[in-house]
Amino acid sequence: MRKENKGLAAVRRAVLAPYGVWSMIFIVVPLFFVAYYAFTDSSFRFTTENVTRFFTATSTVGGATVHTYLLIFWRSLKLAIISTAICLLLGYPIAYILSRASDRTQKILITLIMIPMWMNFLIRTYAWMTILQDTGILNGLLAKIGLGPVHIIGTETAVVIGMVYDYFPYMILPIYSVMAKLDMKLVEAARDLGCNGWNVLRRVIFPLSLPGVISGVTMVLIPSISTFYISQKLGNGKFYLIGDAIEGQYVANNLHFAAAIALLLMVVLLVCMALMQRYANKRAFV
Amino acid sequence: MFTIKLSAKIYTALILVFLFAPIVILLVFSFNASKSLSVMQGGSLYWYRELFRDAETLGAVRNTLLLAITAAVVSTVMGTAAAVGIHRLRSRYLRLAYDTVTNIPMINPDIITGISLMLMFVFVGRLFGAATSLNFWTMLIAHITFCLPYVILQVLPKLQQMDSSLPEAAMDLGCTPLKAFLKVEIPEIMPGIVTGLIMAFTLSLDDFVISYFTSGNGFETLPIRIYNMTKKTVTPKMYALSTIIFFTILALLIMSNLIDTTAPGVERPEKKVRTAEQKKRLRIAGGIGVVLAAGMIAVMIIGAPDRPVLNVYNWGEYISDGSEDSFNTIKGFEKWYKENYGSEVEVNYSTFASNEDMYSKIASGAVSYDVIIPSDYMIARMREEGMLLPLDKDNIPNYDECIGESFRGLYYDPEDLYTVPYTYSFVGVIWDAEQVDEEDTGDWDLLWNEKYRGNILQFNNSRDAFATAQYKLGLDVNNTDPAEWRAALEELKAQQPLVKSYVMDEIYNMMESGEAAIASYYAGDYFTMVDSEADTVDLQFYVPERTNYFIDAMCIPSCCQQKELAEAFINYMLEEEPAIANAEYIMYGCPNRLVYENEDYAEEMGEEAMEILYPDLDQFAEKFNEFAYRNLDSQTLDLVNTLWEELKIN
Repeated sequence: MRKENKGLAAVRRAVLAPYGVWSMIFIVVPLFFVAYYAFTDSSFRFTTENVTRFFTATSTVGGATVHTYLLIFWRSLKLAIISTAICLLLGYPIAYILSRASDRTQKILITLIMIPMWMNFLIRTYAWMTILQDTGILNGLLAKIGLGPVHIIGTETAVVIGMVYDYFPYMILPIYSVMAKLDMKLVEAARDLGCNGWNVLRRVIFPLSLPGVISGVTMVLIPSISTFYISQKLGNGKFYLIGDAIEGQYVANNLHFAAAIALLLMVVLLVCMALMQRYANKRAFV
Repeated sequence: MFTIKLSAKIYTALILVFLFAPIVILLVFSFNASKSLSVMQGGSLYWYRELFRDAETLGAVRNTLLLAITAAVVSTVMGTAAAVGIHRLRSRYLRLAYDTVTNIPMINPDIITGISLMLMFVFVGRLFGAATSLNFWTMLIAHITFCLPYVILQVLPKLQQMDSSLPEAAMDLGCTPLKAFLKVEIPEIMPGIVTGLIMAFTLSLDDFVISYFTSGNGFETLPIRIYNMTKKTVTPKMYALSTIIFFTILALLIMSNLIDTTAPGVERPEKKVRTAEQKKRLRIAGGIGVVLAAGMIAVMIIGAPDRPVLNVYNWGEYISDGSEDSFNTIKGFEKWYKENYGSEVEVNYSTFASNEDMYSKIASGAVSYDVIIPSDYMIARMREEGMLLPLDKDNIPNYDECIGESFRGLYYDPEDLYTVPYTYSFVGVIWDAEQVDEEDTGDWDLLWNEKYRGNILQFNNSRDAFATAQYKLGLDVNNTDPAEWRAALEELKAQQPLVKSYVMDEIYNMMESGEAAIASYYAGDYFTMVDSEADTVDLQFYVPERTNYFIDAMCIPSCCQQKELAEAFINYMLEEEPAIANAEYIMYGCPNRLVYENEDYAEEMGEEAMEILYPDLDQFAEKFNEFAYRNLDSQTLDLVNTLWEELKIN
């Protein structure tokens, strides 16, 4: 490679500077503030009490003693994983169909998928309440064809529906964007070599679309693990997730414990993401 | 092949039905003639007219757009520059460092990004002794920060696809580096930039969580305004707004050429050669964006009014604001002030969702307000903590004439130094006569009645929920004995299998549509529900012997910057016209003599309402002092919070 022009190099350094400074001050430093608050008490003296409380606080649930925050954390994780899995299962075929459609169809469908995202998500969630209520639209429709009623609102199903709905496009778009670039010759070659449809999907298409899947999974898992609005509205206030816990502590003016929960959530997610990235890198070279 | 294509079509159609079902719902309900979001009672354009009269909501829309456009443009410019820089970084470690930092806001849940920025702003604000550390600018910073990575990740791949010898060739042909960058590189990566811009705009527009933690003085965006409506009700007005947004976007998308070149969030499979015409359009679109944002910032800076600004902080939906043909109190005050004091004033009005929410904001030192309207126990707490200023009654001459004896000398302000009462109400039980036998009604036992399993609603806020159990058990709601609180918790746990839902504003929909049959809520809100109940529902109301009485009162917090102006505002709120308008709008009890002795008001409210809201007022003070919440010490508050969590995870 030719040695780069000096003037050009200077321009490049100069254009990076604002972001460098910005990201230090507004991305990196605030994380230290989370850690700082997590390890101090209300008069800013060092303490590990907030962190210990997360691991040791107990409650009585159905007669048994459980660790409050570990249970809350586990439940949030479970719901987030279920929602992410459903998003992936429903979204992957759509992404595939999209990537194989004509240019015009692709454009129209992508736009259609994006439009709901432009509506305020609090309002969208409200609309789901109207649909899923026991006396809601869905049960009204079911009754007309002689079925139902089904009880959804306030159950895990309702919360999962809300999460899947709100984050669905985040799953489709990255997968689609990778699939659209996928070289169809590889698929043809696999077929010519005797691969059946399932094996083409499993051995050729899926591994090649993995980067899109990883970023889709990240973009759905992260927001669904920390949501507090969806669970409040669609869960009939019966679900108390990690986001609710952080918000609850914030509203109770317990900033230091809120910071501790946030810090631990962040650490767990970072570890998860690192592991997933590692898996992706490994698969990419197989 | 045919069957695969057909099933693909059916599948796509089903997914689209799923995606658009709620959109259709809100389109339909925006034309509802009644206030309900669950019962359709004929079509009308009523809520559209309401929307255009609601200056506060339109202001919130303007704020949201201002924020989204500015954040999108700034983050696109900075992010594009950053991507160009990162792309050519030769140090592997620096590259890794930048990649990692860029990834942080993407793999951090928004709640953590929000909290981390809030903690920093508040801390730094305190360090410099600023009166307010959260405002428009902190929100803008937060939005730019979480939009940046998305822009960078859209632009970087385009740079990687670009032939790196292109800009060098341009320079060999005599271009300056800057010119080569602008004329050769930028057009190459334009699709990425446009996609980044659209993504940033979308994310900023829809963000609630980060805004919730970093919002401050008087700059209220739409999502925050909607969230703060949770004590009163979300009306179809918001659906009307969403409908308008929907069709605007649809129109823009159809008209725009942008969808021809790039779809949001997507890289095109093959690079298309764009015609000069399309490039020109892109450039014009970009130019318009930049000019709009610059113009809006300029308006923010230059247009900041030189007249004094009064910051008022009140519950959501807790003032007569001109909607539904009511009187506009804010505009009324601005006009009244000019007539009486001869100078202009501007009111900056914001809302909160709960006492605790308001307290957290003010205690953090993040915001500064001149008039606040908290409830009794919170007033007691703020007074004890020195967070309130004594009022100068000379500046509130209406006080003596207006405030009835029953509303003076109450426990939270025994000498009436700090407060002027605004509204009062009490908690009662709402029941649907179509589903509930009258003989079961009368006291708190109804909410624990096995017969109505799955038809009962309970408060989704700890203090009110615990209080129902405490009143039922005959306990004192202000006790600090942990054992008594535990007993109340056990009672709530016993009730849990019967409870359909823990609710705040959702109660309106659920009671109006017959979704639930029994709920306890504030008197006054009951009338709102009766007004839009479905044909199959017959709502009734009673007040148990022991129940919570509360007062919300106007006070001046110690962070106040305009004390005399604040007192003038409080004085104005006692005037007959605004006071009656507010009482009719909120439908709670009003402690103002000019209101409850007014015959037109009594007629407007109706006999039932007057009987419920204004029982024997002579006994009010006694009942209030006995049953009102008191401020709990921090240990007990923490206990209540912990017990509440225990209930919620069961």
